[in-house]
Amino acid sequence: MLLTRRNLMQTALTLGAMHAFPGLTWAQARPLVFATFTGSWEEAHKAVLVPAFRKANGNADMVLDPMLSVDQISKVKAAPGNPPIDVMLHDPGPALQAVAQGLVEPYPVEKSAHFKDLIPVAQDANGPAPFFQTVGLTYNPDTVKTPPTSWADLWRPEFKGKVGITNLNSTLGTGFLVEIAKMHGGSEANVEPGFAAIDKLKPNLAAVAANPGQLATLFQQGQIDISPGNFNAIQILKARGVPVEFVAPKEGAIAFKTTIHIVKNSPNRELAFKLIEAALSPEVQATLMDSPYLIVPTNSKVRMGGEIAKVLAKDQAELQRKFVFQDWAKINEQRAEWIQRFNRDIKI
Amino acid sequence: MRTNLRDVTVYELRLAAPLAAFFAVFFVAPLLLLFVLSLQAAPDGGGYGVAQYVAFLGDAFSLGVLGSTLWLGVKVTALCLLLGYPVAWLHVRSPGWAKGVIMLVVLLPLLTSVVVRTFAWIVILGRQGIVNAALMDLGLIDTPLRMLYTEGGLVVALAQVQMPLMVLPLITALTRIDPNLADASAVLGAGHWRTFRKVTLPLSLPGIVAGCLLTYAAAITAFITQSLVGGGQMLFMPMYIYQQASTLQNWPFAAAISIIFLAAVLLVVWLFNLLGRLSRGYAQA
Repeated sequence: MLLTRRNLMQTALTLGAMHAFPGLTWAQARPLVFATFTGSWEEAHKAVLVPAFRKANGNADMVLDPMLSVDQISKVKAAPGNPPIDVMLHDPGPALQAVAQGLVEPYPVEKSAHFKDLIPVAQDANGPAPFFQTVGLTYNPDTVKTPPTSWADLWRPEFKGKVGITNLNSTLGTGFLVEIAKMHGGSEANVEPGFAAIDKLKPNLAAVAANPGQLATLFQQGQIDISPGNFNAIQILKARGVPVEFVAPKEGAIAFKTTIHIVKNSPNRELAFKLIEAALSPEVQATLMDSPYLIVPTNSKVRMGGEIAKVLAKDQAELQRKFVFQDWAKINEQRAEWIQRFNRDIKI
Repeated sequence: MRTNLRDVTVYELRLAAPLAAFFAVFFVAPLLLLFVLSLQAAPDGGGYGVAQYVAFLGDAFSLGVLGSTLWLGVKVTALCLLLGYPVAWLHVRSPGWAKGVIMLVVLLPLLTSVVVRTFAWIVILGRQGIVNAALMDLGLIDTPLRMLYTEGGLVVALAQVQMPLMVLPLITALTRIDPNLADASAVLGAGHWRTFRKVTLPLSLPGIVAGCLLTYAAAITAFITQSLVGGGQMLFMPMYIYQQASTLQNWPFAAAISIIFLAAVLLVVWLFNLLGRLSRGYAQA
């Protein structure tokens, strides 16, 4: 949404009036607030989803308020009776937390026009999945001449002081830990081998970023040459000419669904439903699949094509087959302990 | 006649009432809520007690985080003082036009957002950054040094970001010193160094204390700079609180850490104030 002076004035006056006459707030609803993710997703949603939603709903006002999943939960939890967000977007770990804490409204499946067209794993009645995210290896093609093929390549001696990872605050960091634990005989319930492997990675580590967004900056500055990375997060960098490429490791890239939820007690329930419908619609998903967004669709009516078909999978069935899906219910059980442990042990 | 005269030295407390009310509602009340929350035994209720405080104070790792945060503040403050004092001194001794230029240079960082300044430091300290490129061109190093995501880099970046907070009080304090005092000291046979040590430095102590206090408080709570330049493996209190509150949803523990951090900072502030009071006595003696 563009902020004009008139807009700002209006908001200020409205807020002032609401303050002076609190009774107004009861009837006078705020615009729909959609907490999307920062970075690529914010840009994609601003350019495609928001216009599509407004066109279909008589130019209804809405606001994008991008933030991490965990911050969305904190904000809603702080004011559960009058939440400041209407629509949440979640990675699988936080989604399970949000549902368990009773912060989401069940999706009105019977009213939905698109729910039944979603591929089966995306049909979650607590909040359907509008897209998938994939995590593989990202690298700088200018300095890394032979593309990496496996997670194990991160440990190769030539990458001494060139590897970046993120800490476990993010889905990316946690998913990576679980994956390398599995590589060394562990599982979602036992990441001990993963911690041992990260310990051996220390000589190669140039940076442990505080969040996935920082990895992008580090690539741009030449601070790191290779890292586990999100396919979508690098697309915008690539479009701006930063030398960075994505490759799916031969063990299989990690995939997870991102779910979209109506917040419990939202004052804009109807519009929230409409926004989610727009996000599930084949038109929006087809546009988001194109360059430069390259967001993996979940609607079975959208045929996967272009760059996505080339790099990731040619259809959703292949995606299901080729990619690794992790058990986030199991991961959530011990994630707090892992974060504490990572705090203590991983110092470079 | 006497009844018409009012004692002008009496404080008019009512004038402060609006601000006091504002503070009571928006500062004291949330703080009390925070304190109550910190007494909860578990995130989902489960009785009240001091369990969270015991957990923090009995954990060597957590105490280490607190210690390294307070120590980081000391290093940043010392560097700011070391670099800022000459600038303030130069400002006071310069002719009018140069004063303007120095003041502009000092204030310039305040005109850009702290996020922008911090990103500039990422560019400066990076592997292909200005510092590494210069050192390599001069042939002093073969491979780039790792400066980003190290504590040394963080201290330098924080010192630059917080520098105005140190220089401005110093300028105020130094301006207030009568220049005749330095001349008198010289006439009485003291060299420049002795004059500085015996006259200028003691008289500027109130400014030093005020500047250190501001810089210290700003440096230890600088969440953005700490996480962007320090990275994800260096844990300081602000990030620790965020991690517990947001990622782990452990609000009682996060609240307890916040209260402990607040108490530790208050202790440091109290120490500074004590120094300030001593210095006033010293300056007047």
